Amino acid sequence: MMMFDGSIVTTIFGEFTPLAPMIVLILGALVMPAVFFASKRRSAVAATAIAVILVSVFFNILMMVDGYQGGYADLFAYDAFSGVMILLFQIVVFVTALVSVSSSETTRMHYGAFNSLLLSASVGMMFVATASDLITIFLGIELASITSYVLVAMKRSDPRAAEAAVKYVIIGGLSTALTLYGLSMLYGVAGTTNISDIAAALSTQDFSWAFGIAMITMIAGFGFKIAAVPFHMWAPDVYEGAATPVSMFLGTGSKKVGFVALFKVFLVIFAAASSTAAFATEEMQYIFAIIAAITMTVGNVVAISQNNIKRMLAYSSIAQAGYILIVMAVMSEYALASGMFHMFTHVFMKGGAFLIVGALITVGIGEKISDYQGLLKRAPFLAIAMTLFLFSLAGIPPLAGFTSKLFLFSSAIYDGGVMTQWIWLAFVAVLNSAISLYYYTRVVKAMLIEKGPSTERIKVPHTFTAAIVFCLVFVVLLGVFPQLIMDFCADAASVLFGG
Amino acid sequence: MFIEYTWLVPLVPVLCFVAIGFLGKKMPEGGGPLAVFGALFACVLSVLISYEFFTSSAYADPGYVTAQITWFSIGSFDINIGYYIDSLSCLVMMFASFISTLIFVYSIGYMHGEGAKKRRYYAQVSLFLTGMLGLAISSNFLEMFVFWEAMGLCSYLLIGFWGFDHPKGDDATDVAASAAKKAFLVTRLGDVCLMGGMFVLLYEFGSLDYAAVFDASAMAAVDPSMIMLGSLLIFGGVIGKSAQFPLLDWLPDAMAGPTTVSALIHAATMVKAGVFLVARCFPLFTQNPEVMLFVGVIGGITAFFAATMALNNMNIKKVLAYSTLSQLGYMFLALGAGGYMMALGMQTHDHHLMAIGAIGYTAGCLHMVNHAFFKALLFLGSGSVIHSTGTEDMREMGGLHGKMKITSITMLIGSLSIAGFPFFSGFWSKELVLETVMHAGDYGAEGYLFTIMWILAIVTAFMTAFYMFRMWFMTFKGKPGHGTEHCHGESPKSMTVPLIILAPFAAALGAILLFGFDEYVTIGINHVGEFQLGSGHGHGLEGWLEDIFMSIYTYLTIALVLAAIGIAYFMYSKMSVDPGKLNKNGSSMIYRALSNRWWFPQLYDQIGWKLGNGVARGVEFVDTQVVDGTVNALSSAVAGSGDSIGKMQTGNMRDYAAVVMFGIVSLFAVMLVLFYFMGGA
Repeated sequence: MMMFDGSIVTTIFGEFTPLAPMIVLILGALVMPAVFFASKRRSAVAATAIAVILVSVFFNILMMVDGYQGGYADLFAYDAFSGVMILLFQIVVFVTALVSVSSSETTRMHYGAFNSLLLSASVGMMFVATASDLITIFLGIELASITSYVLVAMKRSDPRAAEAAVKYVIIGGLSTALTLYGLSMLYGVAGTTNISDIAAALSTQDFSWAFGIAMITMIAGFGFKIAAVPFHMWAPDVYEGAATPVSMFLGTGSKKVGFVALFKVFLVIFAAASSTAAFATEEMQYIFAIIAAITMTVGNVVAISQNNIKRMLAYSSIAQAGYILIVMAVMSEYALASGMFHMFTHVFMKGGAFLIVGALITVGIGEKISDYQGLLKRAPFLAIAMTLFLFSLAGIPPLAGFTSKLFLFSSAIYDGGVMTQWIWLAFVAVLNSAISLYYYTRVVKAMLIEKGPSTERIKVPHTFTAAIVFCLVFVVLLGVFPQLIMDFCADAASVLFGG
Repeated sequence: MFIEYTWLVPLVPVLCFVAIGFLGKKMPEGGGPLAVFGALFACVLSVLISYEFFTSSAYADPGYVTAQITWFSIGSFDINIGYYIDSLSCLVMMFASFISTLIFVYSIGYMHGEGAKKRRYYAQVSLFLTGMLGLAISSNFLEMFVFWEAMGLCSYLLIGFWGFDHPKGDDATDVAASAAKKAFLVTRLGDVCLMGGMFVLLYEFGSLDYAAVFDASAMAAVDPSMIMLGSLLIFGGVIGKSAQFPLLDWLPDAMAGPTTVSALIHAATMVKAGVFLVARCFPLFTQNPEVMLFVGVIGGITAFFAATMALNNMNIKKVLAYSTLSQLGYMFLALGAGGYMMALGMQTHDHHLMAIGAIGYTAGCLHMVNHAFFKALLFLGSGSVIHSTGTEDMREMGGLHGKMKITSITMLIGSLSIAGFPFFSGFWSKELVLETVMHAGDYGAEGYLFTIMWILAIVTAFMTAFYMFRMWFMTFKGKPGHGTEHCHGESPKSMTVPLIILAPFAAALGAILLFGFDEYVTIGINHVGEFQLGSGHGHGLEGWLEDIFMSIYTYLTIALVLAAIGIAYFMYSKMSVDPGKLNKNGSSMIYRALSNRWWFPQLYDQIGWKLGNGVARGVEFVDTQVVDGTVNALSSAVAGSGDSIGKMQTGNMRDYAAVVMFGIVSLFAVMLVLFYFMGGA
């Protein structure tokens, strides 16, 4: 097995090694349309895309296991944190590519372009994960955003998609402007765009209002990506309007880009600057805590009154973002590791739920919760899998969602054996997960207990089944053996905190 | 040699669950025999483990055996997985698996006609049993919580079992569905408290292992008010799971499932988990007398209210459901009163008081075991009646004694036992409960509350005897009803044999346990100052007899019980007293209050559904309308072109953008306020 160590990646990519997983995907994105024109078959394109993604995953895992560290031109730096986050985005894009081939909602005419855009969007996300400079962070976010706008609009048959895409573009443009404004303010304060240099520069100076404005506008800009209240209003419309595989891609992948950017910019700066007492770290933590509390509460409470399952999942996604924002309030290494772990479990459980919705839409079942009545009779596997995903989202042991919430909430309660002042936030979060059970149970009740109008069996495409099984395995496995990914997350967190 | 294999106790039933879930269709009776095997295996192994434990040196000191491996780490804390065997776990393990075995055997007859659904049934009950057994042997709170939730999930599925095409039509389907959801959500409300309690313990003790938390020196080092907070939160979970006041409403509705499921929930698993947890946390709860006072008062109130609701109910299963609530109330009352005295005794170093308090623990645990047997018997008996008459309404029964001799006589034994008729099982434990509560009234500043609870408990004993015999006479004596004509005789052997096996246990187990094995269910402080179960000092035959029969109050209860049975006989068997006269033929205020369960369900509907949904809609309205509206109005006031038609055409884009800006302005405002108060820059 000598040839399968990190050196093989270095041999192939040379000085571009830190970007290896992305380069593979970019090449894939370039050939996608050609493959489609040559073969005219969606399956050929999907197979190529998946092959490309798997190669990329293979390189990334080699680099992760090898503990590879390296930078490119002061703009990108690959470390344990980047590795873990790239893996997360790779999982998301893999599942999306796998199911969009058999979904009835995705485009038929432009399938090559669809895959090309999908790969490009994920490259943008990975750029953010490896970025070590404000410019590359911005670049990555924009690459991911602009391609996502098109992906949303590509569901041509549905007028809702067009409307959603327009909304997404306009609000996205607004948030881009805000992000850019914040970044330039930050540059003005620190005199550099390199993140670690900014941290070093800021640690020698006091808090300034220019820095405060930079923080607030960046929170707004990244808050749009993660759909934090009050920057969340686009999310339900867009998730509802887009093709379900794309909704899944946005809900599980694109959302995490915002978090990665938040972690990179804020945590690094604050970790370096926390030595300066006048730096107002605590005030910023309170701002994040307030946003977190409001986000999870609004998301959960509004989800109760939703009848469209995609909108319900969108609001529950908003609530989950609120949970992850606890990391930004607590700002401890352990909280970051827990938050990253929750991001992984969220991919599997929320992704799984979206996959089932998408699979059912493909076979002609509606998006209303009432359309799910009697599903247990019609598709026992889907009904049971959906139950597990939803219960995991609600945090019922021993599923992954329970374990990750346990980590996350406990990180808000104590840090290194000392009780933190964020215990109230943990309390709000626990209450919120109790509320969330209410609307998840509504779906479960419709599927398992209520009687449906039809008892005809449903057969969903195999790729959907495969993707659902994939998510299901991890939802159960990570609940029982959280250490499987938690160890990587702990390493990644210690890198970001300079440990 | 068996203790090392304790993990097999929950593992074998869960393997049965998997096997039946996948292959049940190909098995005879949908996998029923395999479920029976799983339960029987657990039962035999439990007995072997218990025998080995009781004869080992660990039983005498330190009173438990535990072994665990690290499951995962939370920050600096290790969360373990393993087993913790002491007399309490042995007791629960044995009765839960034994009764479940009988219930599963009975199910083979009872569920015979269910066709393909049997697979689902047997898979779920196996998992249910796993939950209870896992709970009993868990070595820490988190492990316990996992099994606790697994049980909650199974009860949800089983109560909603008739979900699709209920044999009684669509209305019944809806009832089953909403009953299941109610059970799940209400118990979950308690679970949130329990989880909060676990966080408190984890923070204070740095561990969730029983062995670490119940350590006397560890508890002494922790702030008592935090222990109080943790204990009360844990008890919040118990209130939900064991359906105590004020979360008692779900259990009667849970009757929507098959009768065997009710038997399982009421006798062997689920609601007993709450009692088990209080008994398990006894060392923790007794750190504060106030906590135990709270436990006792909640128990007393539940015992009384639930018994009143059973007085005029016409549904045979619901009467039994209310009686479960009421008997659970007794158990908490006993544990609360005993713990209260023990806590006071620990504060004042009064060993005599602690010894009296320990009787409360014994009484609560014994009542839990006795109740498991007579309630399983009664539920299975009622299932047998329902199976052959096709109705649950007692007005349509009557005169069944001639047609169903075995069911009738075994249910009579169960009724005598639960009513506390002298020398039956229930009599002994109930007398001990009442005696403990009466003693508790003499101590401490708040002791008078226990005197009030004692009066309620005595009245409850009277009511229990009345409604149980009302049920028995209405079913088996009196005039034959509509359903009696449909009755096609005694139920099949697989149903009657479990009844015949359970009957002697329901009749005599109480006396055997109390006189022969009482030393195993005691609690006390051992020579190193630690709490220990089963310290080996029973009162012995004479001691108990003296305790019970030297007290004048024992004769008072016996008299009340006999009187209640007599009244029930004249009202429902001889029909010489018309019960209609008492309640103005169902129009009196109290009768309506009882039929409506003191209006608890309406109260919950108002709070839960109306308020919850109202808030949700309100928040959504504020979210999408008010915030936008305000912003819109502001912007149009500024721009001077508040054209509502224009707004309609552009959709809500402008609003969304406005909300983003609004959010940024609010963030600035928050930041300014924070800086002002926290003295930042």
